[in-house]
Amino acid sequence: MAEVTVEIGGLRTAIVTDRPEIVEVVARRYAGFLAGGPPAWRIEAGVRPEGVVEITDVRVRAGEGADRLVLERHDFLATLDLRARTGTLALGAVDHMAVDSFLRVTYSLALLERGGLLVHAASLARRDRAWVFSGPSGSGKTTLARLSPDAALLSDEISIVRLRDGRLRCHGSPFWGELGRPGDNDEVEVAAIHFLRHAERHAVTPLTARQALQTLLPNVLFFAAEPGLVRRVLEVAAAAVEAVPCFALGFRPEAAVWEVIAGA
Amino acid sequence: MPDGYPEQNPKAAWRVYDGEAVIVSPEDSTLHTLNAVGTVIWEAADGRTAMEAIVARVIEAFEVDRATAARDAAAFVDSLCRRGLLTVLEAPRV
Repeated sequence: MAEVTVEIGGLRTAIVTDRPEIVEVVARRYAGFLAGGPPAWRIEAGVRPEGVVEITDVRVRAGEGADRLVLERHDFLATLDLRARTGTLALGAVDHMAVDSFLRVTYSLALLERGGLLVHAASLARRDRAWVFSGPSGSGKTTLARLSPDAALLSDEISIVRLRDGRLRCHGSPFWGELGRPGDNDEVEVAAIHFLRHAERHAVTPLTARQALQTLLPNVLFFAAEPGLVRRVLEVAAAAVEAVPCFALGFRPEAAVWEVIAGA
Repeated sequence: MPDGYPEQNPKAAWRVYDGEAVIVSPEDSTLHTLNAVGTVIWEAADGRTAMEAIVARVIEAFEVDRATAARDAAAFVDSLCRRGLLTVLEAPRV
């Protein structure tokens, strides 16, 4: 058996397999996020005998027993035991897209107990602080990342935020969008969260915690319907918007937007 | 006067900011936001408080007439029942 460990959002996961091609895919796709040391999670990976199946979306359902989930997409079938922090992964296609989809879903669940969320957001670091720019597809996440050459990229698509001692931290993310490259594998304290929309002129509007929570929640990656997990998502999201100032940011695609970004 | 004992879906996740509730549906993670009147009704929906008592709380909090409060509360409860967030019990939960 071979083993490769990734560390994402400060959480190490070992992928154990007897298929060298799986190790190769993981090692190449997550080259900047490989780690040593004891893993928090252990996933046994193999190949799904029936290959790719006809499913159009990601399905997450309760498995047999408490804290167990079954994850399925057209190119993988997986199980997770949230309490034991173990899982299985059967890949219908041994490629980086299948592994990436599995890890996005898995980390959205695994980071919850540690106060972490995966959020549709770009995140950029300047002078040891991170700015998180959240919004759905087309809201300008990648555009803003491209407009910020002097900032370190933490993510252009899926940001990882995590509460630690009441402070919100942003971790570099390997889950990229249009830019096609990972964020720097770094951890930076969040200065503010901005919710993006394209506008005729730059405008920053402070949000109340309630407004911010309402805007953040639809942008949180979350796939499970288990009440305890949904409750935890709400708790973590609420704590996140209470930990940092949040703003609505209307912007035109030009670098001068940084002049109005709050606290920049 | 509407009757029964509204009860929150125990699987719903929710919290209140400045007197207004944000609720996440247990079935599909849909987000619902309630105004101040809706939040008073939601918070009172414990399966033990009668609709009549809930309407009285609305009247006290918002100084509306009884007929309007009763009609609006019934419509609101009905709306949340259709969204799977409330059920109305015939007898109080003990």
